[in-house]
Amino acid sequence: MNTKATMIQNSEYTISDISPELMRGPQWLRDLRNKAREDFNQAPLPRRGLHLWRYTDPGKFMYELNDASDTTYGDNYDVVEKIERHHVDEGTLAGLVTDLGGREIKRYGTEALAEKGVIIMPLSEAIEKQHDLVEKYLYQAISSQTGKFEAMNGALWNDGIFVYVPNGQVIEQPLHLLREAGMENSATFPRLLVVVGKNAGLTLVDEYGGGSMDEDKGISFVNGAVEIFGLAESKVRYVSLQRQTSATNSYLTHRAQIEQGASMLTIPLVFGGSLCKQNFGVRLNGAGAHSDIYGLLFGSMRQHFDNHTLHHHAHGSTSSNIDFKVVLKDRAQSAYTGLIRIENGARNCEAYQENRNLLLNPGTKAQTIPELEILNEDVSCSHGATLGSIDQESLFYLQARGIAKNEAVRMIVSGFVTTTLNRVPVDLRERIETFVAQRLEGI
Amino acid sequence: MSKKKPLFEFKDIHVEVEGKEVVKGVSLTIMPGETHAIMGPNGSGKSSLSNALMGHPSYEIVKGEAYLDGQNIIEMASDERSRAGLFLAFQYPLAVPGVSVANFLRSALQSHRGKDADMSDYRKLLKSEMAALSVDPAFATRYLNEGFSGGEKKRVEILQMSVLNPKVALLDETDSGLDIDALKTVAEGINRYHNADNGILLVTHYQRLLNYVKPDIVHVMMNGKFVKSGGPELALKLEEKGYEWVENENNNRVGV
Ligand SMILES: Nc1ncnc2c1ncn2[C@@H]1O[C@H](COP(=O)(O)OP(=O)(O)OP(=O)(O)O)[C@@H](O)[C@H]1O
Ligand SMILES: [Mg+2]
Repeated sequence: MNTKATMIQNSEYTISDISPELMRGPQWLRDLRNKAREDFNQAPLPRRGLHLWRYTDPGKFMYELNDASDTTYGDNYDVVEKIERHHVDEGTLAGLVTDLGGREIKRYGTEALAEKGVIIMPLSEAIEKQHDLVEKYLYQAISSQTGKFEAMNGALWNDGIFVYVPNGQVIEQPLHLLREAGMENSATFPRLLVVVGKNAGLTLVDEYGGGSMDEDKGISFVNGAVEIFGLAESKVRYVSLQRQTSATNSYLTHRAQIEQGASMLTIPLVFGGSLCKQNFGVRLNGAGAHSDIYGLLFGSMRQHFDNHTLHHHAHGSTSSNIDFKVVLKDRAQSAYTGLIRIENGARNCEAYQENRNLLLNPGTKAQTIPELEILNEDVSCSHGATLGSIDQESLFYLQARGIAKNEAVRMIVSGFVTTTLNRVPVDLRERIETFVAQRLEGI
Repeated sequence: MSKKKPLFEFKDIHVEVEGKEVVKGVSLTIMPGETHAIMGPNGSGKSSLSNALMGHPSYEIVKGEAYLDGQNIIEMASDERSRAGLFLAFQYPLAVPGVSVANFLRSALQSHRGKDADMSDYRKLLKSEMAALSVDPAFATRYLNEGFSGGEKKRVEILQMSVLNPKVALLDETDSGLDIDALKTVAEGINRYHNADNGILLVTHYQRLLNYVKPDIVHVMMNGKFVKSGGPELALKLEEKGYEWVENENNNRVGV
């Protein structure tokens, strides 16, 4: 059989039925998938100009998904897998999970974690073996009511990864998830569910690669959902790396909920895709909870990025901080919308937000939209945004020391990104520095 | 004895910033081994002159000539001027986040020596210059000027000068913000750098730096012009009598 999969963009697309392959598992799951399908079908396409859709056409995430079972994967995957397996062997990673479009999920080096009671397995397997845990958390942070595309993932996720760290276990080294999208004419619906127990700690690198490299042959579409729960006094570090290829339309929703005394560090690193819309949100549910988001986006060519962050202070005495940096060159575009929401009863909260945009040449375009919904007065809150080319004074300083202009630009941009990359686990940082260096070549 | 050629020479320099003329025709000749000082009230154009000589794009030299070791520098970009041997210690050094002092200076020195030049001596050089200026070794890995105190910034400017070893150093108020001990350390740094082949043009408001770094000639700058030049005793006189004295003296002369 050689039926080439095709994908046709269709803003009216509805999911007629969910394939039997996905409709396995317990009744509650099948019910929720069906509910998500209905919610997706009924929800109108978000109107342009509406909140969060001002800069991106939602039709670009609507595809007729015919049979895509002969999905292929790019060569680059093997290279990255090898690097990260090497890190497992060297002991700088606690483990590696590879996920080929949900079709093949493999674990490397996770045995030691299993002995500590850490559970890492395909979501489909977890539904059978860790039924109660999964039922308790799955769809709780991202439901089919969250939005049309979240409902789409809720109906169609074709396997995903489940990570559970029991109470009191602190995993020192990062756990790396390598998730590969199919090449042209493929649709991938990754999902991730993470539960970090009380007083437990986890560093997770969630890497999204793959996709189509040639728009003429067809694009690759990815719609992902990430749910993270940090129980009381837990410490979670979550790095999301987007490095999909140049003809990939990607939509990702990330929602974390953290409880009393817990802290969460989210690092979105955004480099890839042709159209990439991401939404990172942390809900602070208990006193003393603290969330940091340090984002870094570097766009080139004609890439289009649309990022949203949400800090939702649902409880008093919580604090949050965002520093989202954007560098653009060529004709790349970025929109960033940062919402801080502080509930009426949530007193004594602190929330800070900063978005800096560095535009390396005139063809680039950046938008920054801070949004504050502060429903009580007893808060300390600030936000700021900058947008512009490289500071002429800094450039002059470096040039006055003999450094040629193009090298001075490279140094200033490297410096700008370094202060964020310092927070990334060291092995990964080296790879990211290479991306940055590549993008700075020829400047 | 062969006749010495000027090391740094500028003639009738006019500088505009934001469309306003702030330096209105100044000339100066520095011979090898000389130290010149510029003193003058706030806003008289001292930093504008220094920035313009270094090639700052906002400070346009609309008229005049400038030669470094016989080379016309007016058409050069600031990095070329630096590589030609000119150095400016900034009055207000900027912070450069994410760029460490060591990496920054390495790139600067590499640019001076040439792309493929050997740099194996760099670490040692940096270490010894830092020690000589009593800069804590931890500063090598700190981001340039980020969170540095006023005095630390000035010290690191002099550190950069020592490492790059320019032909001519323009020092714009390197003494301001220094405590008594730091002033001495920095002055010693300047004197260690200074030799019979290079030159210094320093801008200062106070006599105290000149007690350590002896100027050959002192120029008084007011309202964009050099209004008086003299020996080191001029600085003492200014400290005693203030700038009004120069003004009055000049007015008298013009008035007669
Ligand atoms: N970037 C600029 N934009 C606008 N005006 C400027 C700029 N730089 C300098 N000026 C103006 O030029 C004039 C000279 O300033 P300059 O900084 O050269 O003085 P200065 O002699 O160095 O003073 P100080 O002793 O206070 O350092 C002042 O009127 C100042 O306001
Ligand atoms: Mg000045």
